Amino acid sequence: MKLSRRTRGVAAIAGAASIALLATACSTGGDSGGDGEDITLTVTTFGTFGYDDLYQEYEAANPGVKIEATNIDTGGNARTDAFTKIAAGSGLSDVVAIEEGWLGAIMEVSDQFVDLTEYGIEDRKGDWVDWKYEQATDADGRVIGYGTDIGPTGLCYNGPAFAAAGLPTDREEVAALLEGDWAHYFEVGAQYTAATGKAWYDHSGFVWNSMVNQLDEGYYTADGELNVEDNAELRDLFGLLGAATEGGQSAAQAAWDWNGGKSFVDGTFATFVCPGWMLGVVQGQVEAGGGDASTGWDFADVFPGGAGNWGGAWLSIPETSQHKEEAAKLADWLTQPEQQVKQSKAAGNFPSTLGAQEELASAAEPNEFFNGAPTGAILATRAEGVKAQFKGADDSVIQENVFGPPLQALDRGEVDTAAAWDQAIELLHELVEE
Amino acid sequence: MTTTLRTPRADAAPTPPPAGPPRLTAKQRLSRFDLKASPYFYTSPFFILFAVTGLFPLAYTLVVSMHEWDLLKGQGPFVGLDNFVEILGDSMFWNSIFNTVSIFLLSAIPQLIVAIVVAYLLDQGLRAPTFWRMGVLLPFVVTPVAVAIIFSSIFNEADGLANNLLNLIGIQDQAWKHDTFLSHFAIATMVNFRWTGYNALILLAAMQSVPRDLYESAAIDGAGSIRRFFSITIPSIRPTLIFVIITSTIGGLQIFAEPRLFDVSNAGGIGGSDRQFQTTVLFMWELAFFRRDFGEAAAVAWLLFLLIIGFGLVNFLISRRIATGEGRPNRRTRRALARGENR
Repeated sequence: MKLSRRTRGVAAIAGAASIALLATACSTGGDSGGDGEDITLTVTTFGTFGYDDLYQEYEAANPGVKIEATNIDTGGNARTDAFTKIAAGSGLSDVVAIEEGWLGAIMEVSDQFVDLTEYGIEDRKGDWVDWKYEQATDADGRVIGYGTDIGPTGLCYNGPAFAAAGLPTDREEVAALLEGDWAHYFEVGAQYTAATGKAWYDHSGFVWNSMVNQLDEGYYTADGELNVEDNAELRDLFGLLGAATEGGQSAAQAAWDWNGGKSFVDGTFATFVCPGWMLGVVQGQVEAGGGDASTGWDFADVFPGGAGNWGGAWLSIPETSQHKEEAAKLADWLTQPEQQVKQSKAAGNFPSTLGAQEELASAAEPNEFFNGAPTGAILATRAEGVKAQFKGADDSVIQENVFGPPLQALDRGEVDTAAAWDQAIELLHELVEE
Repeated sequence: MTTTLRTPRADAAPTPPPAGPPRLTAKQRLSRFDLKASPYFYTSPFFILFAVTGLFPLAYTLVVSMHEWDLLKGQGPFVGLDNFVEILGDSMFWNSIFNTVSIFLLSAIPQLIVAIVVAYLLDQGLRAPTFWRMGVLLPFVVTPVAVAIIFSSIFNEADGLANNLLNLIGIQDQAWKHDTFLSHFAIATMVNFRWTGYNALILLAAMQSVPRDLYESAAIDGAGSIRRFFSITIPSIRPTLIFVIITSTIGGLQIFAEPRLFDVSNAGGIGGSDRQFQTTVLFMWELAFFRRDFGEAAAVAWLLFLLIIGFGLVNFLISRRIATGEGRPNRRTRRALARGENR
């Protein structure tokens, strides 16, 4: 019992520590910027959004408003972040960027987000391409998102790789070469692979996403019914992709890693599916891998199977926001055509407002990184004929958790096409409740 | 504690036995209250904190597990034990249990052996002991996330350090992120990297409290250093060893960050393309935040809780037998040994 003094000391410290813990737990929150006019708006975006300069511009034009921005690396992680905070009932930023892939799940709880018609979004309805506005409108007619960008898909290709295989490198000739359906794209891919022994595309997952996003109806029918298992159209496309992959056209890359970007630089694959927002990702990966504009990536005005949209985002205001009006004002401003043009210049993505699209198309400004390709103007033509596809509640789960793993096994040659499809259907039954 | 409790009673004894209830002054009463209640007040912060952050979530998770509960839409109808039945019949759950146990065994066993050896070496009166001790603890300072990111780069299949080193000695590239055993090995390596030094320090503290004269007399009796290690060191640190084994069991069965970040190309990190290294906590996370089924995820949480208790008990029983300590049969064997040696 000689220890008693020491134990008492320890007890005192433990007690103090626990009280301190309780105190800190209670002291978070608060910070209501009511009277002082000085308010802080929090914004959460993901990927390459291109808003940094716009935040500064807005702060300069609106004294008393401070913007605290968070950018999450990928749309998938942004989804986890948003879902967790919705479930917790707190923690969402005043302005939250929502991605198309998980909009379906958000629409099921659309009452957690502010109805923007209260802040005059209806007056701007004509600004956007019509389907962008409709996708964010729920069954009760509430509109929960200001559209930011859309994801018309073009094809990124590596000039030197094409040259090595004896294929044309000029972007118009490439567009002419690849004009056609997916079967044609894989035919050219087979030629390329035969000539160089290298892969045609980086991995099957992204190609599959673009194929599915192009359809009138994807994993769900337009009335919201799950539509995968007996969908002959999907099965045929899967067969095409599988045959090409078995023929060695896939580089079996790990998405969002690409061997630290190096695979973009060392000619591991020659083509890459590029929705507008992906251009920023490509640039980031090439730079991470030690390359630059001379690595030779280019952007062609063509896409197998025609026009398609993959991704795009909205800015929404959660009901939990303390500054709904100010947040709506900021989100409204950020999605004005004028700002969307600037965003597009910073991030390479493609705007969802008609005014901004026209401006990009007519300016046709060359993108230095993509061998001077007028990416904005090309995306404007790629956006022609894009239709909105209904996204169900589990769309992103089907894309990533159901089709992702079998496609990777297929890439690595562990299974053949038929087995991969069966595996996907099995996962679908296990993971998605019908 | 017993002595402090006994003292006042000894004080009270000489007072004449009162006819009725003793009349105490306010000061006496206060002092008695202080004596009786203070210990509870001193310990209360822990219990209050535990109730708020431990007990309440535990009970609430049980409530959630008995309902249909969507992550976003919230509480649904009461379903009783349906979620548990569903999970127990789910092959992915059992796959995750297998992975968890496999990674746990691959990490806990080598980790403890190395930790004991490191602690023993540190106990040998090295020069600059603080330097060595801090050096051993250094990996523990690194956050699990940083460890996971660094090691997933080391075990990168295309250009990782591990494969490059293997290539040097003529071994081909290994599929660290796709092969079940190799991925478990890689994740266990991360766990070992972080925890070995920490456990070694705890064991070292225990070793330092072993009386030195025990070693001396054993040495005089002719016991070599290995014999001293097994017959004196290990039995003497038994309580600490049990503590280390139990905590590493709890930690080992809750591995999350390492498999989550080991291969993020599959749906942002669900534990491999074929769930080769999806641990139970990771499975629970996928259920809750991808599939948005909070009810089933809560059921998994409870099953994992029960599993950890089960494992903890088994470990406790086993580790009581490993080392000879205060247990009666052990003492007898020790005496027998001593007698044998005298002969």
